[in-house]
Amino acid sequence: MSVRRTGPLSLLYAFMDATRWRPSMQETAPRRERPIGLYVLETGGCEGCFMEIESLNGSAFALEQAGFVCVNDPADADWLLLTGAVTRVCAEMVDRVWRAMPPGRCLIAVGACAVDGGPFPAGYATLGGLQALTPVRRSIAGCPPSPEDLLRALQELAQG
Amino acid sequence: MRSAVSGLASGDGVAAMRSMGRIIRSGERVALSHYHLDPAQWSEMLTVPGTTLPLISCWADDARAYVLLLEGDCPLLASTIVEDRRYLAPSSRFAGAEWGERVSYDLYGVEAMDARGNGAPALDEGGWTSTWPLSSRPGPAAGGLRPLAGSHLLRPEQTGLSGPLEFSFEVLKGKIRDVEVCAGAAHRGLIARLAGKTPEEAMSLVSRVTAGGFVAHPLAFARAVAQARGLVPGPGIRDVWMILLEIERISIHLFDMARTARGVDAELLATHCDHAREAIARACAEQGVSRRLMDMVTCDGFRDGLEIVPLAQAVHAAMQPRLAALEELHRVFAPRLDGFATLDARLAERFAVGGVTGRSSGRSMDMRRREAGMRLEALRATGSSQGDARAREGLRLAEIRDSLALMERILGSIGLEDDEPAPDRTEEGIGVAEGGRGDVWYWVRLKEGQIESLHVRDPGVSLLPVLGAMLRGYAVDRVPAALGSIGLSPAGIAL
Repeated sequence: MSVRRTGPLSLLYAFMDATRWRPSMQETAPRRERPIGLYVLETGGCEGCFMEIESLNGSAFALEQAGFVCVNDPADADWLLLTGAVTRVCAEMVDRVWRAMPPGRCLIAVGACAVDGGPFPAGYATLGGLQALTPVRRSIAGCPPSPEDLLRALQELAQG
Repeated sequence: MRSAVSGLASGDGVAAMRSMGRIIRSGERVALSHYHLDPAQWSEMLTVPGTTLPLISCWADDARAYVLLLEGDCPLLASTIVEDRRYLAPSSRFAGAEWGERVSYDLYGVEAMDARGNGAPALDEGGWTSTWPLSSRPGPAAGGLRPLAGSHLLRPEQTGLSGPLEFSFEVLKGKIRDVEVCAGAAHRGLIARLAGKTPEEAMSLVSRVTAGGFVAHPLAFARAVAQARGLVPGPGIRDVWMILLEIERISIHLFDMARTARGVDAELLATHCDHAREAIARACAEQGVSRRLMDMVTCDGFRDGLEIVPLAQAVHAAMQPRLAALEELHRVFAPRLDGFATLDARLAERFAVGGVTGRSSGRSMDMRRREAGMRLEALRATGSSQGDARAREGLRLAEIRDSLALMERILGSIGLEDDEPAPDRTEEGIGVAEGGRGDVWYWVRLKEGQIESLHVRDPGVSLLPVLGAMLRGYAVDRVPAALGSIGLSPAGIAL
């Protein structure tokens, strides 16, 4: 990176950099028939947790090598990762997405807001986290959790 | 800023702007930039002929209605009394005031007379525990969610944004004709939560308004509080704030660039953006601060233990070597963004659209230029003024280069004295910070050391009235890519 790489070969250099940076799992990748599908739903927070999950799903982290894949349709999802303080308006959306997921689905609260509202407890517009709708059995702490924290927690949850 | 405002009008227009300012100044001055107008003066302000001063924000509560305007590069706040829950609508003159009027109705039940638009709810979709929840006389709950009108809906989880924002579209032959936005799903009742707290107590919540402004929001708030208290932060604090803001700008620009690139399948560019942003986050973490600089700004300075010089050096060292590759990749992929989601220069002026979106449409509004102690020579980014996604992406890159240059200049003369005078203590202040996604404004009024009243204006709000024009003619499935290139935060809009 110390040499300024411009000119006709710049695209090749950029591609080589991206290949070199490709993240790899330090530990042995888990053996699964297929990756665990993650559907991410923001329900009214600062968006910090959602953006960290987006970073985890980007090129700098080894989400897929760890056996997970982010999906765009809840029908393809195994786990619902819920971020944000759960506004009252969003409750209907959470229910709609949850119902669209296939059997065997799993719900995970990501970040302080999603568990109990964090800095945004129950009010006229918010329910104060997922706990207002259902017992929170699986959660990932942080405000916001870093992509490394998220990946580590997802792996631990996958291992049961 | 001077060029932006003088570009708005000339001749009669400038005279009219001055006369609008004169009308406002004929009112009772209650704070550094705030004038109380009686209903006749308010009406005169809204009907004075000629060009208007640019509107930053409009809001109302039980007692008063407000418009925050820009005169030259200075804020000018006018307010009038709300009588029988009604006031003469600023949107009758300021096109961008409509959103604020609708929000004020949803929160306080105060009605804007002769308002533009259809008055559809901005925030209250019917799911709250009461109607007009911030009013002194709130009503009963609506009893269920109200469906949005429109032939096509884009549900909150389908927008590709980081937060829930609901869109409804009028579509003809598969092409968008008009757009309606409702932000109720992202509304957390921030104003109600902050009222009654001391600024110091409020700061942790202000630091979590939106991840697009973990620095910009608390900084604008801290500046407003300092003005209310008649204080001017010292040059050392001022420079630390500037550096934090530039680090955040680089990070947010990279995030928005990656999202834009993915919207047009430019995965290689997105990959380089991802890695650059992660390198910055790691540099921050290695210097003992949070990855995204959350909780760094305090009301009177910055978090104890923050060592700004090594932090700035680490971020600079992480980012500078990556710029050339980003610029080359941008050149390769930029044609894919040509003409996409274009904002016309006249609309950008009319609705006072700031940030990258406004500047890439030819509006030279950058509130950093008015800051005391700013090293103006570092702010060189101009770029294209085509107003399309390509211009926005190119400007983000140019601004990253500027941010690095600005950090170098600040490190070369950190704590440089200037002679900015302290304002009188009036218990009321206005603060602004030019964040990664645009100008963030806070107005705060204190009473016995606590927040009596507060207004927050995220830059996303000024984008709402121009979204229809930017998306017109596209198929609904192109909307997420367009929104990604604009850099919209539902959390900042809805509060």
